[in-house]
Amino acid sequence: MSALAVVESLSASSPEGVLLDLAAVTMLLCAFACLGSKLFDRYVIYYGAQSIVLSFGAAVVAIHQHDAGLWVLAGLTFAIKGIGIPYGTRHFLIDRFALKRDVSLSTGLSSSLIFGAFLTAFAFLAIRAGTVGNALVAEAVLPISTAVILLGALCMVVRRHTIAQLIGWLIIENGVFLGAIATVSTFPFIVEAGVFLDLVAAVLIMIAFVSGLARQLAEASAPELRQLTE
Amino acid sequence: MRILALIVVLLPLLPALATALSARARPLGTVSVVSGLATLAVAIVLTVHVGGGRRVHGLSGFLYLDPLSGFFLATIALVVALASVGSAAYVRAEEDRGELSPLQVRLYFIFFAIFASMMLASFETGSLGLLWVLIEASTLASCVLVGLEGKPRSLEAAWKYIIISSFGVTIALVGTLFLYLAASQIPGSPTEHLTWSYLFAHAAGLHAESLRLAFLLALIGYGTKVGLAPMHTWLPDAHSEAPSPASAMLSAALLNTGMYAIIRFQALTHAELGTHYAARILLIFGFASVIIGALFIVLRGNYKRLFAYSSVEHMGIISIALGFGGVLGLYGALLHTLTHAIGKAVLFLTSGDLVLRYRTRLIDDVRGVLKVTPLTGAVLLLAALAVAGSPPFGLFLSEFTIVRAGLARSSVVLVAALLVLLAIVFVALVGAVAQMVLGGFPDRPTDGPAYREPSARVLAGTPLVAGMVLLLLLGLWIPGGLDRLIMHSIHAIS
Repeated sequence: MSALAVVESLSASSPEGVLLDLAAVTMLLCAFACLGSKLFDRYVIYYGAQSIVLSFGAAVVAIHQHDAGLWVLAGLTFAIKGIGIPYGTRHFLIDRFALKRDVSLSTGLSSSLIFGAFLTAFAFLAIRAGTVGNALVAEAVLPISTAVILLGALCMVVRRHTIAQLIGWLIIENGVFLGAIATVSTFPFIVEAGVFLDLVAAVLIMIAFVSGLARQLAEASAPELRQLTE
Repeated sequence: MRILALIVVLLPLLPALATALSARARPLGTVSVVSGLATLAVAIVLTVHVGGGRRVHGLSGFLYLDPLSGFFLATIALVVALASVGSAAYVRAEEDRGELSPLQVRLYFIFFAIFASMMLASFETGSLGLLWVLIEASTLASCVLVGLEGKPRSLEAAWKYIIISSFGVTIALVGTLFLYLAASQIPGSPTEHLTWSYLFAHAAGLHAESLRLAFLLALIGYGTKVGLAPMHTWLPDAHSEAPSPASAMLSAALLNTGMYAIIRFQALTHAELGTHYAARILLIFGFASVIIGALFIVLRGNYKRLFAYSSVEHMGIISIALGFGGVLGLYGALLHTLTHAIGKAVLFLTSGDLVLRYRTRLIDDVRGVLKVTPLTGAVLLLAALAVAGSPPFGLFLSEFTIVRAGLARSSVVLVAALLVLLAIVFVALVGAVAQMVLGGFPDRPTDGPAYREPSARVLAGTPLVAGMVLLLLLGLWIPGGLDRLIMHSIHAIS
């Protein structure tokens, strides 16, 4: 059975469709909450909350498709992205270096939120109706996942602290995963597991780098990373 | 052959295993040399097997080797072998000077091994999803090498590299997702919908709109890894801060891994979208890269950054060749991939000798290399001439082929623009290197011999001489086996 045929039955009006829709909207709100905050521990909390909602969304699709692989991924998302990464970031970086308030913002919070609103509107306009078929849940979720990706990218651009950039990238990754489960259900399990492994390895290496930078620089913030310019 | 395909991925991991027994550069370097050369030998056997047009299949399409995979496998295995020999000498010298702690020596060999293994594995998979996973894994391993020295500069370069590359590669994942979506209309299982050979056989049935988006996103995503402008910003920093043998691997191997993924995606677009769509985009990114590369080469400053911008320029040339297309364009692109890989591996390995000897990366502070260290000086000058496209070296032949392809299939204006840019690069690159190589002894004292022991000197010199001999041979004569391999590779993707 082709991937699209699998999700074709997941219509926007079915109970699973409504739940997935709700999960997507909550994820978008978490991304906005992250964009509207400047406390390091809040970034991590909002990212963790977004990941837990994503695991819930993956579980909804897993129930709908009776897909064991997707169940495993939902569990992994909950345990690693929802709990492990937020805990690790908090324990090894934020608490260890007593980081409180992100002062290296390139724009004010309100302008970031307005930019974010524009990007969300753009995502809805850019993803044309009918791209993946009418009345599918994907039709509503795909623009939201695109908006989450764009908001993550915005976080990386307007926040210059390395931790904020790390969280921004993770939000982008959540957006990609949301788009994936809504449109094609999932990649083959081996590939999806590999993607997960890469993510975990990337986060571990990033935490090591940020901690190395934090030890050597006062703020570990991108404006201080200016030695390599030409 | 399936066993050999597994062995070629496992062999580079030997030094990583050896770190459990020792943290000294000398024994680990020896294991690295042995494993690098053995990997090259096995890769050549595999390449000869698939070179005649045969395929190796297995594991539901997750294992797949065709002539194109064989070509890249042999090219990268050659770079791994050269860099392994270079590593053995370089890390020993750094350890002797107390620049690297036992932990750093261990980390170097572990992540060098994983980096090489993941890159080689990426040419052996038929799944475009797994290809993404392996390319991202090789990025992560190489990031650790870039940040290995742990100084603020190297950590900064490593941070920029990991954050920009991870962001870029995430875009490539979205591209892969759209390809998967484009394939949902054709019959087959989910695994087959990501299997390149299956998709290529059913390319005419792919959904055009999704495919268009898939190629664009894959090009931007993998293009970030390749260092195509304007996504190249991580590249000069990472190349200049990594230990030199790792820089050689980044420039001569990693960039080609990204290019390999782009070639696979491009081949899928032809049946449904025609050749013009992908060609036009590749030409735009290609010319942008050559222009950016040329501009920054003219600026000079740091010689490792100079060589890094030369890589941006050469990746642009390969993109342009893919954009010109046709048998001649693809032939030029593949030959250039091989010749550039050898030339750039040699250049970065010589830069390692300079770093050890002069303890500076600034062009203006390096003088009289030919007098201070004659072999390195001679190879540096010859390699710079080769990389700048001078005859009688291999890069002249490949660039000449690309120009012929442009004249046959594209506009004269584009070819003329390319030639002007190449001329600018030639003058700037050779001028900068000549300034370092020629002239009297340097004003500031050098740091003593780069390598204290004669055996380390031999180890450091071997890849330089071997690389230059290969470059010269490829400029004078293309062996029949290589010619057949390239022709079969072109056939596999057209």
